[in-house]
Amino acid sequence: MKASRTRTAGTAAIAALALALTGCSSTEGDSGTGSQELTFWGWSPGYADAVKAFNKSHPDIKVTYQEVQPGAKGGYQKMLNAVQAGNAPCLAQVGYETLSSFAAQGALQDVREHAEGEASDFQPAAWQSVQLGDAVYGAPVDTGPMALFYNKKVYDSLGLKPPATWDEYQEQAERIHASDPDRYISSPYLNYDYAGLSWQTGASWFGVKGDSWKVDLASEANQKVAAYWQGLVDGGLISGAPMYDQAWYAGLGSGNIATVVGAVWQAGVIKGGVKDGAGDWAVAPMPQWKAGEKAVGNAGGSATAVLKGCKPTEAAWTFAHWLSTDRTTYGDLVTKASLYPAAVGLLDLPQLQVKDPYFGGQPIYDVFADAAAEVTPGWTWGPIMTKTTTDLDDALGKAWAGKGSLKDALVTTRSKTVAELKNQGLKVAE
Amino acid sequence: MRPTGTAEQTAAAPKPAVPPGKRRGRETALGRRTLLLFGGPFAVLFAAMYVAPLLYATVSSLFVVKRSGLGLAPPTREFEPLHNFAQAFGDHDFLAGLARVGLFAVVQVPLMLGLALGLALLLDSRSARAKGFFRLGAFLPYAIPGVSAALVWSFMYSSESSPINHLLEPLGVHIPFFANGAVLWSVANIVTWSWTGYNMIIIYSALQTIPAEVLEAAKMDGASALRTAWSVKIPAVRGSLVLTTVFSIIGSAQLFNEPAVLQPISSGAISSTFTPIMSAQAAVAAGNYPYAAAQSVVLALAVGVLSFVFFKLTSRGENA
Repeated sequence: MKASRTRTAGTAAIAALALALTGCSSTEGDSGTGSQELTFWGWSPGYADAVKAFNKSHPDIKVTYQEVQPGAKGGYQKMLNAVQAGNAPCLAQVGYETLSSFAAQGALQDVREHAEGEASDFQPAAWQSVQLGDAVYGAPVDTGPMALFYNKKVYDSLGLKPPATWDEYQEQAERIHASDPDRYISSPYLNYDYAGLSWQTGASWFGVKGDSWKVDLASEANQKVAAYWQGLVDGGLISGAPMYDQAWYAGLGSGNIATVVGAVWQAGVIKGGVKDGAGDWAVAPMPQWKAGEKAVGNAGGSATAVLKGCKPTEAAWTFAHWLSTDRTTYGDLVTKASLYPAAVGLLDLPQLQVKDPYFGGQPIYDVFADAAAEVTPGWTWGPIMTKTTTDLDDALGKAWAGKGSLKDALVTTRSKTVAELKNQGLKVAE
Repeated sequence: MRPTGTAEQTAAAPKPAVPPGKRRGRETALGRRTLLLFGGPFAVLFAAMYVAPLLYATVSSLFVVKRSGLGLAPPTREFEPLHNFAQAFGDHDFLAGLARVGLFAVVQVPLMLGLALGLALLLDSRSARAKGFFRLGAFLPYAIPGVSAALVWSFMYSSESSPINHLLEPLGVHIPFFANGAVLWSVANIVTWSWTGYNMIIIYSALQTIPAEVLEAAKMDGASALRTAWSVKIPAVRGSLVLTTVFSIIGSAQLFNEPAVLQPISSGAISSTFTPIMSAQAAVAAGNYPYAAAQSVVLALAVGVLSFVFFKLTSRGENA
């Protein structure tokens, strides 16, 4: 009697589990009626409308858009889990910095056969970002060329001009702090914002040598950048307000944080988060290590990536390419999400010529158009970026607060990354 | 509402007993069906939501993620039962996290429960006024979701905007909420604020079940209010205190919300591996699921053993 009861309960449990599992899984692919269906996960404002426009103009392909949390806030985890569970969407928005980590988890699908012929539609640096080895994993959507956002009101009141070099930037940091002890030139930079500062010097955090990874986080060029900012920290010239925190927005509004070295999309962040700074802010080219140079870093930018398990890869590529290159759609994305096109044919979009009253009527995209052409090539992301940036932020956070040094942060992060790579069996070139 | 005791008990006592044997067959069949009906949903959910994930985590902790070369091919899993556990016990950050929540539990749990017991006794005392108001007031922080509470506190602690330090400024006092030695106690403060009221309610409801005549007798014997609390009330709520202690130990081990919310503004004082669960979360982010599973298993075992030992210790005292 007892045995049979247990069996009944067991069967019920298994049935319930099976139900739950089948409920979760969905098969992606052609429905057999000639029209192909695929799903796209993303979070950029404007993507939902773009998908609607695509479906209208492409009756043979039906794309379903699902909004997910921004990558670092859970979206990437959800995608990886879905790939593991075998029910991932065909397409997903993935930042360049995360693509190689996705590839290293076997989460991406190579679409070189469809994509190869259209490589020249994109800026070379952006195209390089979606390639790893021989594979092409998606279409680049936007890039993040950097510049200097500065509070013109503060600068004018002190008779300062935007700095041409980092040496000038440091002198201005001292003058700004001397003018008011609550006033600083900048907040600390973490993870990918910090990476952009290194990027400018031609340093890379990672490299590939044969079939081994090179971990260059603590290379000479990277240490040069660290030493420079260490000087500002030691001089007490960096604000304690963490970026994107309420205190940071307040500081940008009041002029207590006078500059942000940031990518083009930072324009949208500042405009949206600092309403009382309207008219005060302006954009200048990124300061240089040597006067007369024109090197620029990149921070952010993302691709429409094809995830493992996607069957209609050709349709997936068709959509990905269209999203990055359709003029009308991309014009809206510039306005709604401050995206800066990776496609060469879109650099003359009317939306990129506007004179924004928030930035005192300055045509700010002119600065970024010049910058985009000067982004230092050769940057490579590593295979476990989430781990690397978490460790880096742990150490950088302390260093910016004056505990430990930025250089030690790079050294510690490098050794932790190398240990984890080896632990997982990846080859590391010393 | 305190049960008035004896009258109800005697009324309920003489229940007509069913002669044994006569209705057994029908009753057991009925009983079985009832058991299935009421127990079934629980069993299914328990198996699906608790046992299955636990087994899954345990099994996956025995495997190792293996890649080769650049690692661009999908990783493989190899059976190496001890590898992840060896790594966990050699992982300085993870062990430090375990030690940290251990220290947290040793200090914060007695403090919080002492406070909860004190508040419950005050509420229960005969001279208390506006009981409903104070009961609700103490309980209110618990009603605020943990993450929201932590967000509010992160504003209070922020080195840039802290209104607490702003108020203390004229006195020349400045509390470094995120100094290395202080940060754990800043977290403890939030947890205490959130959970004291919850524990107080459990202890308070236990106080309500003390029969009136026992308290009456203590009063007749001339016991002061303090003496009654110490010798009658506290021993009577012993069971609730054990229960809330075990809950709190488990809660400490699972510390996550508060430090995770404070992390971005802590100037590096709270690392990504501050507590064992945060450490496991970091391993998930690194794509190393088996290692995250191993960390979770170690934590679960530690909590299981600790709770078991605590129960054993306290129940031995009860028998004596």
